[in-house]
Amino acid sequence: MATKYETVIGLEVHIELATESKIFCSCSAKFGGEQNDHVCPACCGMPGMLPVVNKHVVDLGMTAGMMLNCHINRVTTFDKKSYYYPDLPCSYQTTQWFAPVAVNGTVRINTSKGEKDIRIKQIHMEEDAGKLVHDDWTNTTFVDFNRTSVPLIEIVSQPDLSSAEEVVAYLERLRSLLRFAKVSECRMEQGSMRCDVNLSVRPEGSKVLGVRTEMKNMNSISAIERAIEYETARHIDAIENGTEELVQETRRWDDIKGKSFAMRNKETAGDYRYFPDPNVMPVCIDDEWYDGIKATLPEFPEVKREKYINELGLGEYDADLLTESRALCDVFEAAYAESNLAKESANWIISNCMKVLNRKQMTPDMLNIDGKSLGKLIKLVADGKVGNANARKILDEMFENDIDPEKYATENGFIVSNDTGRIQDVINAVVAADQKSVADFKGGKEKALMALFGKCMKELKGNCDPAVLREMLLKTIQ
Amino acid sequence: MELYLAKQDGQKGKKIALDDMILTKDMPTTAGSKMLENYMSLFDAEVVERLTASGYAIGGKANVGEMCIDLLGETSYYGAVEGEDGTLMTASAMLVKNGEADAAIGLDANGTPRRAAALNGLVCIKPTYGTVSRFGTVSIACSGETVTVTANDVSTAKNVLDAIVGHDDKDGTSLPEEKCAKVKAAEFVPAKRVAVARSLTESASEAIKQKIADAVDAFKANGIEVVEIDDSLLLTAKNAWNILMSAELCNNVSRYDGVKYGYRTKNYTTIDELYTNSRTEAFGELLKTAILFGSETLSDYNYMKMYDKGLRIRRVLSEKFDEIFESFDAVLMPASAKSAYTKADTEENKYIAYDENLYTAPATITGVPAVIAGGVQLLGKAFSENVLLDLAKKLEGAGK
Amino acid sequence: MDREILRRLEKLNQLQLTEEQKDSFLAFYAKQTEEMAILDSVDTESVERMVHVMPIYTVVREDKVIKKYSREDLQKGAPETTEGYWQVPRLVE
Repeated sequence: MATKYETVIGLEVHIELATESKIFCSCSAKFGGEQNDHVCPACCGMPGMLPVVNKHVVDLGMTAGMMLNCHINRVTTFDKKSYYYPDLPCSYQTTQWFAPVAVNGTVRINTSKGEKDIRIKQIHMEEDAGKLVHDDWTNTTFVDFNRTSVPLIEIVSQPDLSSAEEVVAYLERLRSLLRFAKVSECRMEQGSMRCDVNLSVRPEGSKVLGVRTEMKNMNSISAIERAIEYETARHIDAIENGTEELVQETRRWDDIKGKSFAMRNKETAGDYRYFPDPNVMPVCIDDEWYDGIKATLPEFPEVKREKYINELGLGEYDADLLTESRALCDVFEAAYAESNLAKESANWIISNCMKVLNRKQMTPDMLNIDGKSLGKLIKLVADGKVGNANARKILDEMFENDIDPEKYATENGFIVSNDTGRIQDVINAVVAADQKSVADFKGGKEKALMALFGKCMKELKGNCDPAVLREMLLKTIQ
Repeated sequence: MELYLAKQDGQKGKKIALDDMILTKDMPTTAGSKMLENYMSLFDAEVVERLTASGYAIGGKANVGEMCIDLLGETSYYGAVEGEDGTLMTASAMLVKNGEADAAIGLDANGTPRRAAALNGLVCIKPTYGTVSRFGTVSIACSGETVTVTANDVSTAKNVLDAIVGHDDKDGTSLPEEKCAKVKAAEFVPAKRVAVARSLTESASEAIKQKIADAVDAFKANGIEVVEIDDSLLLTAKNAWNILMSAELCNNVSRYDGVKYGYRTKNYTTIDELYTNSRTEAFGELLKTAILFGSETLSDYNYMKMYDKGLRIRRVLSEKFDEIFESFDAVLMPASAKSAYTKADTEENKYIAYDENLYTAPATITGVPAVIAGGVQLLGKAFSENVLLDLAKKLEGAGK
Repeated sequence: MDREILRRLEKLNQLQLTEEQKDSFLAFYAKQTEEMAILDSVDTESVERMVHVMPIYTVVREDKVIKKYSREDLQKGAPETTEGYWQVPRLVE
């Protein structure tokens, strides 16, 4: 009988934190920008600058730790790791080696085989390296330090994963939790979420781990899936057929060729000479800080989803859509709290707000209108005080400026008029000017009424209860 | 033989010489190395801003030994400085001694400014670690290095010190203003009891022993009780600091690689050749030795018995000083083994600074303040500068 | 420490010593390690490491962007740049 094998996988996931500035200097941490534009003497390795820790990085490190059920180290310290590479301007990286911010957590994943807890060994905070652009024509590598010192957390799992499916579920779970907690946007295509895959294969039931290989800097879920399947097959082939000798090494995944390749290993690789950074004082997390962060933690997305469905009566589809993004949930919950209209609040976000976001080429995470104001607007519509078309205009304005919907509606003449005298005047004028439509309607053309209705509505600038207008219009014609 | 590597005229006020470890935006900063020949910083060190704001004139940049880890500046790429009698001395000590500068600002990673002051009968203050910002100094051994002031007399040194002491947000190890204020206080504080470090004194030359004896006499004449103490534990500071300093140095100077600024070799085709040849061509032998030694103390197999041991010894020493300063206001000890050095000394032993650390490392590794006067060294507890300066006043004029 | 370890150490630190310098380094290293016996004579088993000499903690800054330096200034002293990039020989992976 053929031997069955199991794959043993541990992941190191690097996540760029959603801060304004870098971890040890005040340069912008925003993605993009012209090459070497988000740079100062510190992040291009010049002498004289000293590191001062960005407090928000510690906030987010703790948040990530709490979201992944970790123990938070109340005294956390930074260390230096030395190696030469052109994307590392000081030839050392400041990271956490001796006392990382968080340890011993778990992440629950859901796969076709059911639920499983993946243990987290630790989460540490560190600085990112710069970007290298290789040019074969001139045989040159170009160095861009914009990403240098952008804050990262590295989430190190125990080798608890055993298939590509589990790895994908784990990564998606991390992504969902950390986006929800506003730790990071976790955008793999921008490199704000990257992954090193440590993999070995052993006969099922064996207690001994096989030879481990590492694939570094994977930045797409589908590539990770393919790479794991390829590596697993390569390892099994090597064990069963002796096609090659497996060695512990770092490999590069080539997604186009669909193969992994051994990387050129330096003789001195791995000799990092860690030591405590004398320039960075220990960060002590007191109860006030700890509790403050704890209080900001969001409910897990699935908890919200259940609540939306069971308590607020939303459909599953709407609940799924909203809980995709923390920003949508925040606006929804605030709008609901103000209006007490759950379905309407959900509809306004899913249809109207999403349309504006699309038009502006923004992601749902970037929705930053005031939820309370949206709730007020929804109420104005529900109470028949503002028409739908005008309400959408008000929403547009809410994306631009911080406005009070009712005040804005009043100032712009958007409030539905209850002045039947004025409505009758308008109807009379429209009917008098368009006798043809009146005749058409009387001749049985239903559409002609819509034309008259539209003209009246336009004349009234939309500020009229459609039902009232329709009724009065019919009465006038007949 | 240039004392000033860069000079600046026309400013009003008392003139300050800056060791070329202090970054300036209007003059190059070389750290005594070929690696940083003509290197222009984009900003001034915090001490430079404070001095200028207090009305001092910056006279120029004084030549220093490469990365200021040698005995007396002898490893400078720009040449060693010798007195007329052939003795080695640092450029800044000579500038102060001959009156070309009223005071000098140095960086004390390996005791050089203190040593130079002691050999030349000058006053030097190495203040409590964290009371003077290191922002804008070329980092060597950050856990212990301190900005120093050297002058001909106590009051000048004190005035310059007051101008540069203070909290700085740009230095994460900078102490809060209320701690710095203790150093800045105007009143000198008289000492009652001074300890003499027995074995450190025993290990020095006869001439140095005489200076210690003279200091003891001067203190006693002022009614101060002087007691010899067992200082054998302090002898461990040298080797512990040799480890910590070299390791931190190795890491700090790894940024000088020929990529971003500074010296780049002409002889390379690969990145490793660029790195290795740039560093090999631009660094001197003592620096190379220090880098390699420091690197080795951090290797997996040495870390616990070398670097980690050094960190633990630092705690032991720090607690030892706490104990001493419970009974004494200051400890008197030599600042060097001999009263003069020549090129022959550094040629015979290229690594002589690693030995002379015996006298300077106790204050460096623990961060306690040290004051040089009358050719001897006084150590006190943190923020006791005004006690040490009061004692120094009693030694002024001696030891020249 | 021997010449083979030293060779590796040189590589690790991107330095090359001459034969004469190697001899002198080995002698220096031997002396330093010999002298470390004095450290071993102190029992530090239960002593806590002291990384920082001053007991201050949690020195942090607010998450605020400050831009002070232009790329042109930062690259003024650069050995080789192209279009705002620092430049090095093509890296081989």
